[in-house]
Amino acid sequence: MKLATPASSTPAAELARLHWTIAIVAGATLPHWPLLPFWVPLLLGVAIAWRLAIAALEWPVPIRTLRLLLALAAFCIVLFSYRTINGVEAGSALLVVMIALKVLESKGRRDQLVLIMLSYFLLFASLLTARGPFTALYLLLLVWLTTVGLVQLSRRGPLLRLRSTGALAGRLLLQSLPLMLALFVLFPRLPGPLWAVQGTSTSATSGLGDTVNPGDITSLALSDEIAFRVEFSSPPPPARDLYWRGPSMTNFDGRTWSMAIDYRRKAAASIEYLGAPIEYRVMLETTGRNWAFALEMPKLPPDERAPLRMGGDYQLRTFPGISRGTRLDYRLTSYTRFRALDPLDDADRELFRRLPPESSPRTRALVQSWLADNPTPEQVIERGMDYLRSQPFFYTLTPPRLGDQPVDEFLFDTREGFCEHYASAFTLMMRAAGLPARIVTGYQGGELNGVGGYYIIRQSDAHAWTEVWLEGRGWVRVDPVSAVAPERVALGSWHNALAGDRVPGTALGRLEWVRRALLVWDAAATTWNEWVIGYGPQLQRGLLDALGFGGVTGSERWSKLMLLCVGAMLAGSLLLTLQLAWRRRRRTPPDDAARELAAFTRRLARLDVAPRAPTEGPVAYGERAENRLPHAAQEIRAIIAAYLRARYESDADMSALAELRTRVAAFR
Amino acid sequence: MFAAARSLENWAASWARRRQGADSHSVVLKRRRIYILPTRFGSIFALMVFVMLLGSLNYGASLGFMLTFLLTGLGLVLMHHCHGNLLGCEIKMLGAHPVFAGERAEFRVALRNDTGQPRHEIELAHQGHATNPVDVAPGTQETLRIAVPTERRGWVALGRFAVVTRHPGGLFRAWTWVHMDARCLVYPRPAPPGRPLPESAGHGLGGKPDLGDADFAGLRPAAPGDPPQRIAWKAFARSDVLLLKQFAGGDREPCELDWDALPYLAPEARLSQLARWCLDAAADARTFGLKIPGARLPLGAGPQHLGACLEALALCETGER
Repeated sequence: MKLATPASSTPAAELARLHWTIAIVAGATLPHWPLLPFWVPLLLGVAIAWRLAIAALEWPVPIRTLRLLLALAAFCIVLFSYRTINGVEAGSALLVVMIALKVLESKGRRDQLVLIMLSYFLLFASLLTARGPFTALYLLLLVWLTTVGLVQLSRRGPLLRLRSTGALAGRLLLQSLPLMLALFVLFPRLPGPLWAVQGTSTSATSGLGDTVNPGDITSLALSDEIAFRVEFSSPPPPARDLYWRGPSMTNFDGRTWSMAIDYRRKAAASIEYLGAPIEYRVMLETTGRNWAFALEMPKLPPDERAPLRMGGDYQLRTFPGISRGTRLDYRLTSYTRFRALDPLDDADRELFRRLPPESSPRTRALVQSWLADNPTPEQVIERGMDYLRSQPFFYTLTPPRLGDQPVDEFLFDTREGFCEHYASAFTLMMRAAGLPARIVTGYQGGELNGVGGYYIIRQSDAHAWTEVWLEGRGWVRVDPVSAVAPERVALGSWHNALAGDRVPGTALGRLEWVRRALLVWDAAATTWNEWVIGYGPQLQRGLLDALGFGGVTGSERWSKLMLLCVGAMLAGSLLLTLQLAWRRRRRTPPDDAARELAAFTRRLARLDVAPRAPTEGPVAYGERAENRLPHAAQEIRAIIAAYLRARYESDADMSALAELRTRVAAFR
Repeated sequence: MFAAARSLENWAASWARRRQGADSHSVVLKRRRIYILPTRFGSIFALMVFVMLLGSLNYGASLGFMLTFLLTGLGLVLMHHCHGNLLGCEIKMLGAHPVFAGERAEFRVALRNDTGQPRHEIELAHQGHATNPVDVAPGTQETLRIAVPTERRGWVALGRFAVVTRHPGGLFRAWTWVHMDARCLVYPRPAPPGRPLPESAGHGLGGKPDLGDADFAGLRPAAPGDPPQRIAWKAFARSDVLLLKQFAGGDREPCELDWDALPYLAPEARLSQLARWCLDAAADARTFGLKIPGARLPLGAGPQHLGACLEALALCETGER
């Protein structure tokens, strides 16, 4: 018993649906292409081409066994190349492979809807790792495209025109936007993950490394990438005091400085803090490491639950267990005046004085010549700085390559280098003089963003300096670069300090308005990072307390939040109902018949029949027109009759109106 | 499973019938009578959004939350749009033309859209079968046909049907049940052609058909009992098929189609034969009258007379039913 003819699915309509499906699949996979192994997009491309060939050239659909084998093979290859299927990247690769195979076998509406669903999910996978506002916008555009596809492909009848569907999908998304914002703010956030996640390969972007190896670097590209941002709540210190401490290098093999194994002593307890405290907040970009940076010298609260701890070399690290992919945001107190009274025992002093026996003979000879009159350690430091000042040393980012004795060659031959060369050479000189010394790496300076009122510290601000240990004064910072290029340290930024062709890649950045625009943009991006990307349990808690919805216990807060979410959904529903009811309000049925008669009257007016008076009935008007135009009398009578039928008789199938329309249209 | 769902639907529909009462032939859909539930696709969509929520919670991914909640909102918005797609739509019953038993009765239902917004993808569902969906532009109407198979003569009632939409997105199915008192007249199934029309009493078979003035109107297959004078012998010589010449013209003698002339047939078969004769007589443009139990139609001709005769046959009380 078939009551209606099946939905007329002409080949052309089917082809249009297929094209839509392919457009959406291609759009949703697009953000993943650069991240996937080359064969995955290739597989998708082949699948799409094959599917099109099936539709256009009537190629055979691959048999079921072949499809199953393909699926199995693809699954194995993904598993083999990622060694897991848990995690965003492997999961995305698998999803794209599944989509490719689904495209190949897709036939009807149901398959197409499954592909829409997979596309949404693929976009979700992109958003798990995406951060920037532009990326978000780009993905929102793709969500819109997928929604257009949802509206189109869920239809049983012929597809709608692109313009109206696009507008409809846009309207649908716009109407969902307020609810999205409400739920985004109100939905209870969890402080930690639900299950362990396989590490995402967030590559380290730091300008700092595990080692300092100046001799091998011949060109240091200044990267404008941002390392972290700092917002001072107390008056910021002058630029020359902005030393942001990172890892320190102790071990030296004659060529490369590396970090010492952490010798775990409570060095932090022996610091004497002087002067006024400086309070600030650090918003760290992801580093892929457990390093955290702080203004020298930070004072950690005794609270054991703080997310940071200080190592024996005063470096701040995050506690294990904090995911390395997350952006850290922490508040600190530092003192730019301090005494790092690290009580070194003999073994420690030996560690910080150690030099490979055969390294740098010329440097050692030079240093020995300074020691002839038994100078104090302070005098030794001063003689070292004097040497750098008095000799023709140059600060450059493109130093020549150094040979087997890099420090000797640098100090006596080439005399060109950047901070690592100077720190390396100076530390070696101090060790040769018998003073415990090490290299400290970190950042120096920073750029004040006047728009956002915070400092931006970029990878190009990376720096290295020397720390010398003096009896009774502890670790003392000596920055040999200040002897060579004092403006580098005083002004706090390369952008300000170095002009000319010695600094590559900043030509655009020297244009004033470009710089200003970039600063405004950075302020916007920081707001985005803080309020969108960084929105979590803490911000939510603060917001709720401010709104007066705070709860004492976690569960109380949770239930309040859930209630608010439900309230938001109900309120959204109500608003939508009202809005749609307004859009869908019934108008008094447009009197089509009267409109047709008006058109007819206008037409007759051109033939010198005076327009219908308000008191004149249609019949009287018709008679008047007949008298005026006797040759058309019959037609006029028919039109008036059709009008009367359409207007005043039951015209259920609207045949009278149709007749009136055709007659009026044909009337000449 | 399927049967359970069907009986659940029947139960819900009868509940709705008690709630709504019977409908007139023109109904504007109000909020109170529009029902909406997620489709299977909608449930899968909800499941997907839930998985997204878990993923976002796990990764603490703000943008993931954004998409999750955007799609949550989208689901809600789609629900309202789906509901609004029916809301205020006017359903008008245009009726059905009579058919012969065994044919399909086609009930024509108009969907009128008097709002400024288009309505999309509205279909009618009747006894588990759905029509093709139609789009109704603002200020216009579209006509859909519900076909109902017929087996016996008499009235066939349309019964309950549903106005359904899944637009936009197919996540939800909004519907309303309509109970309009619409029925279609079903004529008796005509007997196979062949039995000749009975000639009028008194001028039996002996009467000489006067062929001279009549206009030749065509040929039909001959059947046993046809007058041999009217067999088309020339055509028989060419094709080996016996054909009967037919003539148009008002000069033919009127015939009386009488229930009692067919005593050897069962009552329903008699009605079928009478229906066939009515058709034949009308095709021959003859005037004819009809006499059946409970009704007697005087001699007449033309489509209206034919309709009246067939209606009388359709509604004839033979005492057996």
